Amino acid sequence: MSLVQNIASGLRTLFRKQQVDRELDEELSGFLEMAADEKQKHGMSQQEALRAVRLERGSIDVTKEIVRAARWESFLETCWQDVRFGVRMLRKSPGFTAVVVLTLALGIGANTAIFSLLNAVMLQSIPVSHPEQLVVLRWSAHGRPHSVGHSSFGDCERTDWSASFASSCSFSYPMLREIREKTHVFSGLAAFAGPAELEMSSNGSASMVRGEIVSGDFFETLRIGAAAGRTLNLSDERPGAEAVAVLSYSYWQTEFGGNAAAIGKTIKLNSVPFTIVGVADPRFTRLVPGKSQDMWVPLSQMTALRISWANGDLTKHDSWWLTVVGRVASSVSLAQAQTGASLVFRSEVVNESHLKMADEPQVTLLPAQKGLSGDRSWAEQPLFLLVGAVAILLLISCANVAGLLLSRAETRRKEIAMRVALGAGRGRVARQLLTESMLLSVAGAAAGILLSYWGATTLDSFVVANRGSRMYLNMTPDLTVLLFTIALTVLTGILFGLAPTIIGTRANLAPVLKESSTGITGAIASGKRWIGPGGALVVVQVALSIVVLAGAGLVVRSLVNLKSVNAGFDTNNLLQFGVDPTLTGSYKDAEIQILYGELQRRLSYLPGVVDVSYSSDTLLSGSRWTTGVNIEGRADKSMVEVQMMAVGTNFFNTMRIPVVSGRALEPADMESPHEVAVVNRSFVKKFMENREPRGLHFGSEDSKGKQYEIVGVVGDTKYDDLRKEPEPTAFIPLKKSGARFAIRTVSNPAALLPAARRALGELDNNLPMFDVMTQNERIERRLFTERLIAYLASLFGLVALILACIGLYGLLSYEVARRTKEIGVRTVLGAQKRDVLRLIAAQGLSLVCIGVFIGFIVSAGLTRFLGSLLYGVQPTDASTFFEVALLLLIVSVAACLAPAWRATRVDPMVALRYE
Amino acid sequence: MVMSDQTSDLVQGTLDMLILKTLALEPMHGYGVAARIEQMSDGIFRVNAGSLFVAFERLLRAGTIKGEWKTTENSRRARYYSLTERGRKRLDSETQEWARQVAAIARILERS
Repeated sequence: MSLVQNIASGLRTLFRKQQVDRELDEELSGFLEMAADEKQKHGMSQQEALRAVRLERGSIDVTKEIVRAARWESFLETCWQDVRFGVRMLRKSPGFTAVVVLTLALGIGANTAIFSLLNAVMLQSIPVSHPEQLVVLRWSAHGRPHSVGHSSFGDCERTDWSASFASSCSFSYPMLREIREKTHVFSGLAAFAGPAELEMSSNGSASMVRGEIVSGDFFETLRIGAAAGRTLNLSDERPGAEAVAVLSYSYWQTEFGGNAAAIGKTIKLNSVPFTIVGVADPRFTRLVPGKSQDMWVPLSQMTALRISWANGDLTKHDSWWLTVVGRVASSVSLAQAQTGASLVFRSEVVNESHLKMADEPQVTLLPAQKGLSGDRSWAEQPLFLLVGAVAILLLISCANVAGLLLSRAETRRKEIAMRVALGAGRGRVARQLLTESMLLSVAGAAAGILLSYWGATTLDSFVVANRGSRMYLNMTPDLTVLLFTIALTVLTGILFGLAPTIIGTRANLAPVLKESSTGITGAIASGKRWIGPGGALVVVQVALSIVVLAGAGLVVRSLVNLKSVNAGFDTNNLLQFGVDPTLTGSYKDAEIQILYGELQRRLSYLPGVVDVSYSSDTLLSGSRWTTGVNIEGRADKSMVEVQMMAVGTNFFNTMRIPVVSGRALEPADMESPHEVAVVNRSFVKKFMENREPRGLHFGSEDSKGKQYEIVGVVGDTKYDDLRKEPEPTAFIPLKKSGARFAIRTVSNPAALLPAARRALGELDNNLPMFDVMTQNERIERRLFTERLIAYLASLFGLVALILACIGLYGLLSYEVARRTKEIGVRTVLGAQKRDVLRLIAAQGLSLVCIGVFIGFIVSAGLTRFLGSLLYGVQPTDASTFFEVALLLLIVSVAACLAPAWRATRVDPMVALRYE
Repeated sequence: MVMSDQTSDLVQGTLDMLILKTLALEPMHGYGVAARIEQMSDGIFRVNAGSLFVAFERLLRAGTIKGEWKTTENSRRARYYSLTERGRKRLDSETQEWARQVAAIARILERS
């Protein structure tokens, strides 16, 4: 009650200041007059009485001040005064203010931008209502499930698949139905897989779309409404249900212009007609971080779409491929739900004899926010590195601004001493100085937010343009980002403002006011202790810059190493694209061969084309096909794992992979029932033990299965990743799968694309071309993380370097100004120009050297966190450290010379006379 | 503020209690309260305007007293303060507390 009264009365004083003041005035003068009246009754004259009263009771003005100061709202008033005074002081030195605001803007802006990215990838909750109720199902067992086909799509953290422990988030469709029907612990379940690359044709044009394969209750469970039309329901999942699709809002906008007429329209997916029944709510942008899709189709359509997952058969118990998310019923605890799901899972896997009771198969329910990791697992390490880098950057900005404020505090000592002498409390002066720091910090943050907005947009487009797959990131600043920036601003203001405030208010009154602040003796004495607080701040900045620069240097060097790695084939002038006639269903096996042969022939006739071939997968695309085989004549009879690639004729010639012995694959091999293969050098080295490889067979364990005869040996290549050493690889003829064409050109491979598109269109207009890229573009995308980090780290390193040099320059300039008189005396006593130059430059450079040394020690401790990002370089690579130090030294010499040069121009007569 | 040998400073925190006690008798303006305290203490306590009005402000905001502008017998405008119900309760509890403390201090002083 009284608190409310207190606040109400305080607000009244604030907003009706004049009236409250007038009342106090009237009351006080009344008080004093009444006291005077009393005195007059005892015989004093009026004037005597008033004087006596003032002496006894205090004057009216002082009393008013006392009463006012006792109110809490007066604190706000003085704060406001401080702010206005601060703004006036800052406006008086616009240069200083601009440098400080810019420095802080860089620090705060970089932090906000990186935090927005971190927020988008790691922190934002799933954009559905009550995401905290969602759990993702994960099974585990003390043993590997038997005869189970398992696939996953990067939704969950990782799959364990060892003999003693296995665990993943993939379930079979019959299992989903069992859990749905036999337990009542979930209020809803949503299963999904993919997205699948689907070939879409409507109005005669063909394109590839990404369709997520989902259960009928997907939208209902996630509580996602429709922006237009309807979403899916369980009846869409029934076998034989009409083929329907729900579009994502962004796809509807870009492909259909947000036109409501799109609902009810028929599109063809992999040649199957689908009816568009609705568009999902625009707020539902993703379920798994970084993953997005164009549309959702019910999982019962998988067979019709000829998607090979689960062998296209939904009823199979041994195909585990669906990720399942559930909403736990409100009356059920998490433990109960877990037990319920585990019971069903156990009886099902034991019934189907995938696992034994002794393996203790069970289901764990993870919060979906944590369990659906998606891109998070990929981005975690680089993001934390970037957060570290920008945190260091902010520290450097703070040290820089603190240094500038310190010099300013020195020049303001007289002003502050004067204010203390006039009766301002030390606390009051400190509050005023901190208010100024806070003002600078807020201005810096405002500029920083603009900067971060630009930075986040640039970063977003860099990610979109360079990442292998499209990803969706919501980088619009939300409440989390806002709170982060506010906290950062306050922290920054205190961090850089505190030291100068303490030092500034420690000023000893008398000597400051009495003598000139540039007294000769004082200056020479203080000139000797050159590692004052200002010097220490420069050392900190230099050391931190070394850390950022060393990290950047190591990542850049790794990137250079990776780019110059020998891939085993010529990556230049190669254009690649994918076609998949198996999806359309209008080609029989033999016709596929004919199509590829004809396309190969037509492409090779195009001007500027040297060679054309095709393969099941592109090299260095990140995907890999491995299989277990038995190799004829090996002493060790166990299965070995080899990498496989199906290729067309002329492949080795097109890729410029040398044939070492034997022959390459020939047109006859493509159709012959006799299976042949070409293996690489690693294959021979690892499995042949000095035997002649040609004529030997390898293949499945069962001798009735496919056996390949080795007909030739080719040079080693990197397969899926530049970082990996070449592994044993077998190349077999490509007979009936989709293909990736590779065109070797004379120059600029990208320029050939329109002609290649025409050539394909003339053969079959309904066959979409997808994944079109040059080989070098593909490598760049594979190196996305490295490039992103190298790019940002170099940028941050550069900013750190500039800031450290501004700090150094500022300190030395201030020193020169402060020591003008001392330099004058030295000159009079015979010091030469180079002596003066050395005096100032040596001071700066010794600070830099100390900073570099400390920076080395800190870097050596921190660079190991770069870990897996590095390639062909040690975390404590001496030459990188040396180069970074050299760069910093060269730049800092420039920063030292300018003020030192100014010092040599000091005219001794002017310096000595100046007071 | 000590003005003569006879006056002395108030014990810390007792001014509020004295004001409440004074107002318990009848509503009064600022000078009235000061004069009454001096008179009742036989001139030992002298209250200066600063402390008095800060105390009024404090008591007003605590809701123990309320103020009202009226005309005095000398036809001057002045704010008259009076006790609220809350103020009456607080005066009672503070008086009891004070009595307990004084008794305790007296016992200690007698013993030594």
